[in-house]
Amino acid sequence: MNDSKKQHNEEVRLMKGNEAIAHAAIRCGCDGYFGYPITPQSEIMETLMELEPWNTTGMVVLQAESEIASINMVYGAAGCGKKSMTSSSSPGVSLMQEGISYLAGAELPCVIVNVMRGGPGLGTIQPSQADYFQTVKGGGHGDYKMITLAPASVQEMADHTVLAFDLAFKYRTPTMVLADGVIGQMMEKVILPPYQPRMTEEQIIEICPWATLGKTANRKPNYITSLALLSEDMEKLNMRLQTRYREIEKNEVLYEEFSCQDANYLIVAFGTCARVCQKTVEMARADGIKVGLLRPITLFPFPTKAIGEYGRQTKGILTVEMNAGQMVEDVRLAVNGAVKVEFYGRMGGIVPSADEVLEVLKSKVIISTFE
Amino acid sequence: MKEEIIIAGFGGQGVLSMGKILAYSGLMQGKEVSWIPSYGPEQRGGTANVTVILSDERISSPVLSTFDTAIVLNQPSLERFENAVKPGGTLIFDGNGFKKFPTRTDINIYRIDATEYAYANNESKTMNMIILGGLLKVRPIVLVENVLKGLKKSLPDRHHHLIPMNEKAIQIGMGLIKKVN
Repeated sequence: MNDSKKQHNEEVRLMKGNEAIAHAAIRCGCDGYFGYPITPQSEIMETLMELEPWNTTGMVVLQAESEIASINMVYGAAGCGKKSMTSSSSPGVSLMQEGISYLAGAELPCVIVNVMRGGPGLGTIQPSQADYFQTVKGGGHGDYKMITLAPASVQEMADHTVLAFDLAFKYRTPTMVLADGVIGQMMEKVILPPYQPRMTEEQIIEICPWATLGKTANRKPNYITSLALLSEDMEKLNMRLQTRYREIEKNEVLYEEFSCQDANYLIVAFGTCARVCQKTVEMARADGIKVGLLRPITLFPFPTKAIGEYGRQTKGILTVEMNAGQMVEDVRLAVNGAVKVEFYGRMGGIVPSADEVLEVLKSKVIISTFE
Repeated sequence: MKEEIIIAGFGGQGVLSMGKILAYSGLMQGKEVSWIPSYGPEQRGGTANVTVILSDERISSPVLSTFDTAIVLNQPSLERFENAVKPGGTLIFDGNGFKKFPTRTDINIYRIDATEYAYANNESKTMNMIILGGLLKVRPIVLVENVLKGLKKSLPDRHHHLIPMNEKAIQIGMGLIKKVN
């Protein structure tokens, strides 16, 4: 209620999730977008091209020749301490995995948006969440992690773009906004973030002393590389990264609870599935079933502790995803056997319906707790 | 108040635009709104549909399997969505080219021959607004003044001179819609 009141005092717009990302990128002082079109996220670059930010903030928008080129352009810009980003959808993000691993290894901040579509292969253009493993378990090689934000509304598409840049620079790590075709294509109300100027060179030198902006006489050269031929050096880098990931796990977990206080059963879902399951919760509550929804907003770091606590308090948990069962593994690790965790998923671009989920909740989760 | 609507027809009939105008009207009326198209490999002449939700409360799922109101503008859409209307709900169809007609008795069925009217009166560009007028006659979910405000907000300035024509189309639609059951 307070939120909706606040919205009326500010400019409320109606736009697609993809468009919100483009607007938010310009407004948060992004220096460069490099991308290659693919459905269902092409509106991100289309909107940027229409808005022509190079005439206003000076932001560069460039259509590269491929996704591989895009991610490596991001690497170059990020090496200079610039706020840089790319976006794609599942098959395109697969092509970027080598570059993402290099960005992680070189400790470079950047934002990657994946508006997921059904796979494997070229798949379908319909919404999916089948890139969960690729994103949070590391799609590229080596022991790296990416902070992963999972928006569930057009408002969050805008907000998470800004937050992703903040986190990327705070921890010097690539950060993923992991959306799906529904969130990208749907229109909802949104309040865009305020304008922030792009960082000046002086600010970059201060905030990113590692950036390669030209060596001054009073310091040693900066190297941006993910190569360390001495194993001892490579292990040191790995230890530094792991320490940082533990910090991220300690500080940056985000999740949202819906009707959880008195819940006997819990649904865990992210992104579009969380929206569908919120409707399931409304329907189940009308039937007198005390069920709540926990929506992870960060997928890495995962809300392990919160879900673990619900594992001890509830009689059964259902995880719902648009894939064959990926996040459910992290939910099971979080509850560590304290309660049975069931899974329901649809694949290949199908969005589960609230009725389907309610049926599964009744037949699989609630029945099994009477055994 | 919560209204869950599906609008379905051929690509090129203005299905997505009608949904967009409805969503903007809801925005102008202070409602929560969501608009989601079927964004498959659609093309002119293929099928297109859009789900629009207007609500006083926060909208949970933007993707639905049943609807309060279905507006179907071609035969395949009728076949696909007639059974998706909730009991007691509303089905509006444009009978142009239909061979089979809706048969349910537990919903309110309305016919609006907007295509026929639009072609006879050289108004084919406002066909979707005629249908929107019909919808607002039987389901007054937004005020016409908010539709006009929504048009003003969503159309670029150079098209604002077309708004009176759209207002007229809404009025025509309100007169054209007929209950059939």
